[in-house]
Amino acid sequence: MITSLAKEQNKETAVGMGQAVVVHEPARLTSILGSCVAVTLYSPKLRLGMLSHVVLPNGNGNLAAPAKFADTAVPYMLSTMQERGARRSELIAKVAGGACMFGGGRFMDIGESNARVAIALLEAARVPIVGRDIAGTVGRRICFDLSNGNLTVESPGHPSRII
Amino acid sequence: MTDVSCLETANLSLLRELFASATHDASAAMCCWTNSLITLTLDEVCEIPLQNVCADLNLGDEPLTMVVFDLDGGTSGAMVLTFTEQSARRLAGSLLEAEVGQGPGWNELERSALTETGNILGCAYVNAITRLIDHQVVPSVPHFVVDFAASVLQQALLGQVHSTDTVLIGRTRFQHKDAELDWWLLFIPTSDLRTVMERGLPKAR
Repeated sequence: MITSLAKEQNKETAVGMGQAVVVHEPARLTSILGSCVAVTLYSPKLRLGMLSHVVLPNGNGNLAAPAKFADTAVPYMLSTMQERGARRSELIAKVAGGACMFGGGRFMDIGESNARVAIALLEAARVPIVGRDIAGTVGRRICFDLSNGNLTVESPGHPSRII
Repeated sequence: MTDVSCLETANLSLLRELFASATHDASAAMCCWTNSLITLTLDEVCEIPLQNVCADLNLGDEPLTMVVFDLDGGTSGAMVLTFTEQSARRLAGSLLEAEVGQGPGWNELERSALTETGNILGCAYVNAITRLIDHQVVPSVPHFVVDFAASVLQQALLGQVHSTDTVLIGRTRFQHKDAELDWWLLFIPTSDLRTVMERGLPKAR
């Protein structure tokens, strides 16, 4: 479930659906998001960061894959960061993704729900959310740079932005 | 594909036969539609861990042109037809007997031509599955999308990701005469449809 070190060769690790990765600088974590949401936690003091690629808002008690569900991903991330020596008071969070892609159908609210649950839990844990790039109707390619905590977001047809 | 855990079950060869038959029907429909010798061949039937889906399908991290539709409102899965922009423009130009557009963006006629291509392919594929397993599968209206394939796949997988950590995917490749085309058709049944297909397999033989 969790990978603690980025690949030595290029220091860039792709985080797939339902995965979480925690890593020190120098490293970059990347993901491509549609309705999924990336939640990042970062300790500027330790240059330690974690990214969870959340797929669904609620696990309904499923604890086998904590990063897959927003309601389990946030507590899992907080405990993992604390185990790695980061104090909760020094953490900052960012949230990206949660698009409503083509059509939507019966799943049209999933992206929004993913973001809403993650944000609510981060707020309840009093972790400041210093960047958000959520909702919309297109995908996102993100890159989380552990050297400075920047989260670069790119979408087709839109200029890239850093949150 | 790399690092893919291909199905080792007794049903694998039967599922391959089923998907190959559907691919054959889709291939015939494609030949009629394009009035040329474009053929489809079943490439892979694999079960892939959820976190590896995008990497193992090797769809890249650049935006692709896609036609997407769900099956039975998403409860049975989804199909995704992918093209690189260049190949999509070439196909649209050929279908419309027009100069290949240079973009940016797509005009209504080009969108319509590509969407209809997906519709014809998908309906032929799904109709064959329906006939062979004696269980009706209904595709949705197709959606034309230019986006990251991984983003689109996430939406396509939503109907099954809660209950499973692996995904069954049938991937079909395309050829024009002897040349490989950079198009792919992904058939992504849910576990419910997979069960129905496996039950219906004896009828398919």
